[in-house]
Amino acid sequence: MAKKITRRKFLENAVIGGVALGTGLGGYRVTYGQAKKPAGPIKIGGQGAISGAHADYGWQMMAGATLAIEQINAKGGILGRKLELKFMDEELKPATAVKNARYFVTDWGADFLFGIDSSGSAMAVGPVLTELDRLCFFCHAATHRLTEELVAGKGIKQIFRMVAPVYQDALAAWVFKDNPEIKRWAGINCDYEYGYVAWNLFKENIRKFRPDVEFVAAAWAPFWTMDFSSHISAVMAEKPDAIFATPWAGEGVMLLRQALMLGVFDKIQVWWQGMGGSVDLLEGVSREVDKFKGKLWATARYIHNYPVTPENKVFVEAFRKRWGKFPNYSAEGSYSTIYAIKTGAEKAKSLETAKVGAALEGMELKTPAGPRLIRREDHQAVYTVPAGKVVTSPDYPLPILGDLKIIPAKEYYRHPPFTPVAATK
Amino acid sequence: MLEKLLFQGLIGLSFSMYLWLLASGLTLVFGVLGVLNFAHGSLFMLGAYATFTFYGKLGFNFWVSIGLSLISVGCVGAVLERFFIRRIYDLDLPYQLILTFGFILIFDDLVKMAWGGVAMIPPMPRFFEGNLSVFGRPFPIYNLFIIAAGFGVAIILWLILEMTWWGRMIRASASDREMASAIGINIPILFTTVFVFAAMLAALGGALGTPVRVVAPGIGTAMIIQAFVITVIGGLGNLKGAFVGALIVGILTAFGILLFPVFELFIIFVVMAVVLMVKPEGLFGK
Repeated sequence: MAKKITRRKFLENAVIGGVALGTGLGGYRVTYGQAKKPAGPIKIGGQGAISGAHADYGWQMMAGATLAIEQINAKGGILGRKLELKFMDEELKPATAVKNARYFVTDWGADFLFGIDSSGSAMAVGPVLTELDRLCFFCHAATHRLTEELVAGKGIKQIFRMVAPVYQDALAAWVFKDNPEIKRWAGINCDYEYGYVAWNLFKENIRKFRPDVEFVAAAWAPFWTMDFSSHISAVMAEKPDAIFATPWAGEGVMLLRQALMLGVFDKIQVWWQGMGGSVDLLEGVSREVDKFKGKLWATARYIHNYPVTPENKVFVEAFRKRWGKFPNYSAEGSYSTIYAIKTGAEKAKSLETAKVGAALEGMELKTPAGPRLIRREDHQAVYTVPAGKVVTSPDYPLPILGDLKIIPAKEYYRHPPFTPVAATK
Repeated sequence: MLEKLLFQGLIGLSFSMYLWLLASGLTLVFGVLGVLNFAHGSLFMLGAYATFTFYGKLGFNFWVSIGLSLISVGCVGAVLERFFIRRIYDLDLPYQLILTFGFILIFDDLVKMAWGGVAMIPPMPRFFEGNLSVFGRPFPIYNLFIIAAGFGVAIILWLILEMTWWGRMIRASASDREMASAIGINIPILFTTVFVFAAMLAALGGALGTPVRVVAPGIGTAMIIQAFVITVIGGLGNLKGAFVGALIVGILTAFGILLFPVFELFIIFVVMAVVLMVKPEGLFGK
């Protein structure tokens, strides 16, 4: 009579068998790994805000990187190896961003890191990179401290920033320095580091050109402000000639709608919107361009209608074909990042952090946003971003920036050795 | 200076009305059902998205869109109460918080899947465009409408609760659920109805904000913290408290931004802390 196998016995055997099999396979893997490192894909770990009100920025970052990776893989990858992308949500929280970075390197085996929307997250991830020994290419976080303090100051060579930092918001100082009639400036700014530094840099710079300007009012709006009426009304009470504003993404759209309702554009001469040249914001104000009466000026870290070069045209068309949308600056930043990794690795003929990092230092890259110089001292990409009026154009379904003012980056960028800028209200 | 203060006060008053619409439902649900519904802000967000879709995307009349939005969110509220919230009435508070917090995450991701992550805004209805001169400065017609709507809702709520049979049933079950049940009030049906009603109030807040605010995943969470502060100041479960709390928070915020821009955020929490120290049950709490 055949021996009857009870269910309990069967399970026991299955567990023992499973463990044995697992151990065996593990052993095999170790042996294989010791003999020869598998030439699998090059792993690139990205993170950005992909949930909440700023989710489109993380999405754009992921979309730009995906496009570059698909293009590079179609041509054989980097050093003969294909690229693999994994993208995670940093939730605009420093602790999450650090956890993601650690996961990418220690668990997933990332060769390179990129992304990060929040300045707070960037400042938290930066110092961890020496321990993880991976290059991280920051594609959005804009605080000057990331490159000035952590790279130029503390020598954390693993940090690279591919997009323009807060320096570029202060462009307003150059654009309006020759308008003596614009004298009284008011600020409606983000109640966090980006807003503080952008406003302080603007004030510092315009004072150099125009000692006569006055800063008549400042209102501060934290993340998730839904109603800016009180902020607008408070600064308008001081009858400014011009307003300098930094709330971005959906908050920028709300701010402008509410400013229109309060009749602001009948009273002021200029409204400067930092990051207002981002696609989502332009889309949000698309129906109201005429109501701004030509007074709405904006900038961003990249604007799809500038520069008029073959590289930019090819990128915008490829992005639109792949995703059915226009790229914003996060998308261009991450796209250029993946190509920077390619250029750096191919020049170094290696994926080693120190070698690729050294190869990129001082290099000038051809990117959709124009030539980007990776500055040796602080690993900041130096490239020119224009400012312009928000206008409609028959060539585009969305408003664009027109009447462009092109100030060379070296004029409005800060240069080493750096003097501190107050990151306070 | 006086004119500046009065104008800023009016701006604050219109902001208070959005807060009131949100806080009223939150406090009603707590007062009657005994549930602290974190996901109340998500219902506000759904109200905004529904109105945006009917009015901004499908081109329906603004008022019809608001009506359809209230009905849609009311249905969501009915499902939420009947199949989920009802199971936790007898459990401890942490279970309510976990369940309702879970719904915030679910709703945020659902709207992202359905509408995408980009913040969107519909055009302003034409009849609300423009502004009136108040204290020599332009004041939006829409803000006047919001102030009227907020007071209107307050009066209607008061009439319903004080003057109608349904209002009496609500008040009876809020003060003693078992006794109310013993005298023949159908508690489960009453609870579903109250929850749906509160969901519709949240949706109304979201809907009325649509022409001036964006719809985006997470806008409910942005508002719910202030709504909680209001209910704590006014007294949890007390409608009159929620109204006064909303006035305090909205108007003080506006004055804070005008007079103390550097530490304005702090002021509301100081008020809340003082209320908690002096009268922990809130200004109108029992």
